[in-house]
Amino acid sequence: MSLSMRYDGVEKVFDPQGRNPVRALNGVSFTIEPGELFCLLGPSGCGKTTLLRCTAGLESITGGRIFYGDRDVTTIPPFRRNIGMVFQSFALYPHMNVFENVAYGLRVRKVPEDTIERKVSAIMDLVGLPDVLKRNPSPTALSGGQKQRVAVARALVYDPEILLLDEPLANLDAKLRRRMRAEIRRIQKVTKITTIFVTHDQEEAMAIGDRLAVLRDGNVEQLGTSSEVYSAPENAFVANFIGKMNFFHGRAVESATADEQVRIGIAGGLVLEPQERAIKTKHGLRAGEPVLVGVRPEHLMLRSEGSNGGFAGTVNVIQNLGQFIRYEVHVDPRLAPDALEIDMHQALDGCTEGDHVSVHIDQAQALVFSPETGWDISQDEVG
Amino acid sequence: MDERGLQKESRIERLLQKDWTPYLIFAVPLLFLALFLFWPLGITVLRAFSGPGFDVDLSNLGLDNFERFMTSGLYQRSLRNSFVVSASAVVFATLIGLPMGYCVARVKMPFKNLFLSIGILPVIMPSFIGAFSWVILLGRQGVIRLFLNRLFVPLGIVIPSIYGVAGIIFAMSLTYFPFVFLLSYGAFSAANPMLEEAAMMMGARRPRIMRSITLPLVIPSIGAGAILVFIRSMGNYGIPAILGGDQYVLPTLIYFRVSGFWDLNSAAAIALVSVIITGGALLLQKYVISRREYETVSSSRSEQHLHTHWLARLVAIVYCTLVLVVAMLPNITIIIMSFFEYWRGALPTGFTLENYARIPQLVSSEIFNSLFLATTASLITAALGCMVAYITERRRPKGAILLDMAVMAPFILPGIVVAVAFLAAFAGDAVIPLGGTYLILLISFVVRRTPYVFRSVVASLTQLDVTLEESSMISGANWLYTFRRVTFPLILSGIIAGTILTFATLLQELSTTILLYSARTRTVPVRIFAMVQDGYFGQGAALSVMLLATVFVVVYVMNRMLGRSISSSFKLG
Repeated sequence: MSLSMRYDGVEKVFDPQGRNPVRALNGVSFTIEPGELFCLLGPSGCGKTTLLRCTAGLESITGGRIFYGDRDVTTIPPFRRNIGMVFQSFALYPHMNVFENVAYGLRVRKVPEDTIERKVSAIMDLVGLPDVLKRNPSPTALSGGQKQRVAVARALVYDPEILLLDEPLANLDAKLRRRMRAEIRRIQKVTKITTIFVTHDQEEAMAIGDRLAVLRDGNVEQLGTSSEVYSAPENAFVANFIGKMNFFHGRAVESATADEQVRIGIAGGLVLEPQERAIKTKHGLRAGEPVLVGVRPEHLMLRSEGSNGGFAGTVNVIQNLGQFIRYEVHVDPRLAPDALEIDMHQALDGCTEGDHVSVHIDQAQALVFSPETGWDISQDEVG
Repeated sequence: MDERGLQKESRIERLLQKDWTPYLIFAVPLLFLALFLFWPLGITVLRAFSGPGFDVDLSNLGLDNFERFMTSGLYQRSLRNSFVVSASAVVFATLIGLPMGYCVARVKMPFKNLFLSIGILPVIMPSFIGAFSWVILLGRQGVIRLFLNRLFVPLGIVIPSIYGVAGIIFAMSLTYFPFVFLLSYGAFSAANPMLEEAAMMMGARRPRIMRSITLPLVIPSIGAGAILVFIRSMGNYGIPAILGGDQYVLPTLIYFRVSGFWDLNSAAAIALVSVIITGGALLLQKYVISRREYETVSSSRSEQHLHTHWLARLVAIVYCTLVLVVAMLPNITIIIMSFFEYWRGALPTGFTLENYARIPQLVSSEIFNSLFLATTASLITAALGCMVAYITERRRPKGAILLDMAVMAPFILPGIVVAVAFLAAFAGDAVIPLGGTYLILLISFVVRRTPYVFRSVVASLTQLDVTLEESSMISGANWLYTFRRVTFPLILSGIIAGTILTFATLLQELSTTILLYSARTRTVPVRIFAMVQDGYFGQGAALSVMLLATVFVVVYVMNRMLGRSISSSFKLG
């Protein structure tokens, strides 16, 4: 009953004849499985919201096709598509009460009154607001979380074939956001409607999505499950966008194909031996080729100054985040372009800001990327 | 099927699936504007370059009509008077309005709302009625003039009667200063107080802060108020017609050419000149202002520091009260006058209720005409302004700016110029002969007032989150359904505000009507104007009071119900 969704070379150019045409989508192609909760993730301006609006038909596309199941909907206006959408601002009608807001799509479809009442109360039960429906206030009197639930109910009540969520949690405070993302996943799994969820928050995307697509500059950079994207990012951008990744400058010691094991030399005479699956460059490596070695904060360790097998650094900032302690460590800039972020489960005894320490790499967890051209890794961090 | 065939089929399919209702609906206002704005204006320009008279002779285009500005003393004097009057009105209106705006915004004093309600005066008080009451007070037999002269003549100073250029400037400044007052009040009270606090922290004293921070920030608003005064003064017909005496300005000159000689072509040329002057002033204002427009980070939370020194408060209260009294004087005078037969000298004489009692038998058809025309025109204006606002604000087609400018054009076109354009296009044996009909008045009213509703609705639409409409589309509603159930209910207050304002101002419309009315379609303002000119002051005053009362009630009720300021409808682009 659920529908798949397919993008086939979707392109969107804003202002194509104008002086500054903007390419928002560059031939995006992928398929979303029926009943899947799919996340579109990327920094602002990456094209994720544009892709969602094109999916809804709110924007026309300048190239390619969009399919709902087998149906080509590319030129069909939004009101003929039978979809539901939750907006970032919720877009609840201030001049209608909660019941009328939720019933809107049913009234448009000229559903008989008794069916409307039944469906509205069923959907309000599903989103957990049966009490609100009894009071039936104006939506302006609701709290943020309640508005969110009403917006979801309104989008679901007429059994749409596709549900689109445009940063639906962005207007909620941090605690509520966590609860609502679990709620949305629960509701989606009950209704089994194919759902696209747009967000710029990688934690949210990983938590909620069955699969996710990371977008940058109108291109899909990587597509996969949360753990695939986290543990095996395909390039340095995805690696640093999904969670924090520390980078080291390195050079391949010998030539190798992508599947072979290879030794990587980094500054200070250290030689790393990452696992064979860790090479993320496109065509393997040539001897002497410059690379970036990526290591997650939890795969770096601090020891006291002068320990064997590590390199020297200076502790700059120590933040105690509860489940772990985060150290910001400055190292020789020839070694790493930016300060390192190191998460330790236990504090290093007697270590304070300004101390000299030794940094160690868990080599089995290191990844090897091609250097990104014309892109400064540190700028794309999401705050 | 080959590829081209497939493409063709899909294109037809695409056309059929598209929602065409909006395009059909949007064609209506465009057609209306083409027929009743562009066409008359085009004909007017054409006539301006034809020789004097009524005939349009394409083979004989030339500058004959404009040459009179070189050769005729009357034309030159009128042009000069118009300039002097408008420029002086701007200066004096600013001198009165700006300090008052500052006082009400920045000095701690009582009755602020009372002073602010002055802002409504230009809306509810037709300027020609104001001029009429100044005649009673400062005319040859005017009570105030006689009183002042008794004081000053021994000192060798004689206050002249109000008739003449000085009188016109006097009446216009007092009529239009509320524009400057309201806009500068808004700017003074909205300016971010932290900017001034920052200057104070850096060691600046009050005069320096005023000069270097406060005034520069409100200059755009003062400019907006000033240009409004200039445009209105340039186009005002009623005041110079009553107070001008033998001094003409461009609008009265236009009236003279049309009603005296039926010389539409030279009237068109004069109209063109006056529009060019107004347009030039507008461009100048935009040029000066655009370089001074600042994005200030507004902080609605922190409050203005009000002056609390007793001297500042005393000066402010005395000044504002004085202005209020002078501004209200015409209304009071008219009300008193309406109960008397004559008012020559110190006190009115011959108390009577006859003035009111005779209204039904004297002017019942005028009352019907005014109500009928104002109501019908307001409703049409509402529909038209609403549609155009929606098109330019939501659809943003290519050339939306052009449409915006087209709708706003009548805002800077003096009423009498619109009248000339309509005569030029539709009078006599024109293709669409409308001369002397209700229709020509109706349509000219609609064209002139569409900007009011347009601005008001645009303001509502910009505040309306687009996703509300998108969300409706997603829910499966087409454009018409979305408009009916979502957009319309949410912009309704904007539509009503604009429409009521339109209705109120159309009830008092004189400068367009004066050239377009016929015996059958005469309205109340035209009749008041005639009564004043014929010296029936008592009856004129009684009819004026009824008009003022009606307008006041309408505007007051609207303000109460909608709780919004009407000043937004006056603002230019």
